[in-house]
Amino acid sequence: MSRNSEEPVFNRIEEARAAAGLSRQKLANLVGVHYQTIGYLERGEYSPSLVLALRIASALRKEVSELFSLTQPKEGEK
Amino acid sequence: MAQKNKIYWSLGVTEKGTRALLTDENSKFTWLRSQRNRRVVVLLELLGITLIASGSYLPTLAIGSIQLSREADIIIYSVTAIWVTLLTLVAYSLLRISVRGIADAPDELLDERQITIRDTSFRFAYLAMGCLVIALLVLMFFGPDLELFQPEGNDGSYLMIAALFAFASAPSMILAWRERDI
Repeated sequence: MSRNSEEPVFNRIEEARAAAGLSRQKLANLVGVHYQTIGYLERGEYSPSLVLALRIASALRKEVSELFSLTQPKEGEK
Repeated sequence: MAQKNKIYWSLGVTEKGTRALLTDENSKFTWLRSQRNRRVVVLLELLGITLIASGSYLPTLAIGSIQLSREADIIIYSVTAIWVTLLTLVAYSLLRISVRGIADAPDELLDERQITIRDTSFRFAYLAMGCLVIALLVLMFFGPDLELFQPEGNDGSYLMIAALFAFASAPSMILAWRERDI
């Protein structure tokens, strides 16, 4: 499902969503996708387009770089 | 004021109907929302297609020591073939119902991931169908010389019916197999 299976995109959507107190359904409604897609994104099974990444970052009040990275985020890293 | 229900004539769906399929609003066939159940339907469809295709190779019934007349033999064979075909048709219908929300939905009602999984599934199916066509062409050329089909009655027509079923159901089978619980 990844756009480029050789280069996975890591994300912190799940923890940012939990911190914001949003359910998957609520976040899905905010960014205009199916709630199932949020699950795919959180599991790293789908890498979003730039537009969707920007929408998610905006909904979670984060920078895109805080949510997505090409390297595995370290434990406890903000 | 009630919202207008847009009709997508070319796809044969309505906006409300599609939205209901994509959410939990549609209470019909909810058991097809689980990936496991959809995969069972895919396997049943595959089994049906395989059985139909094998109709071109299986000799007419010769069960142990039971000696049937030629007419009875053909009748049993034909009735069995009709039932297998009907059951495959039922499996095909369930398969279509299970993926209809995504497979037949217009792009504007789907998100980017759903469009991606639909398009890649259809591309895989297209490639698979291309291979199937080549295999059928090879069979058409060499089948008769190699006596691959039965000399009487089943001259490969069951194989053709199975291929048509495969063509019709391959995109839905791949999509149903890949998509998680809806």
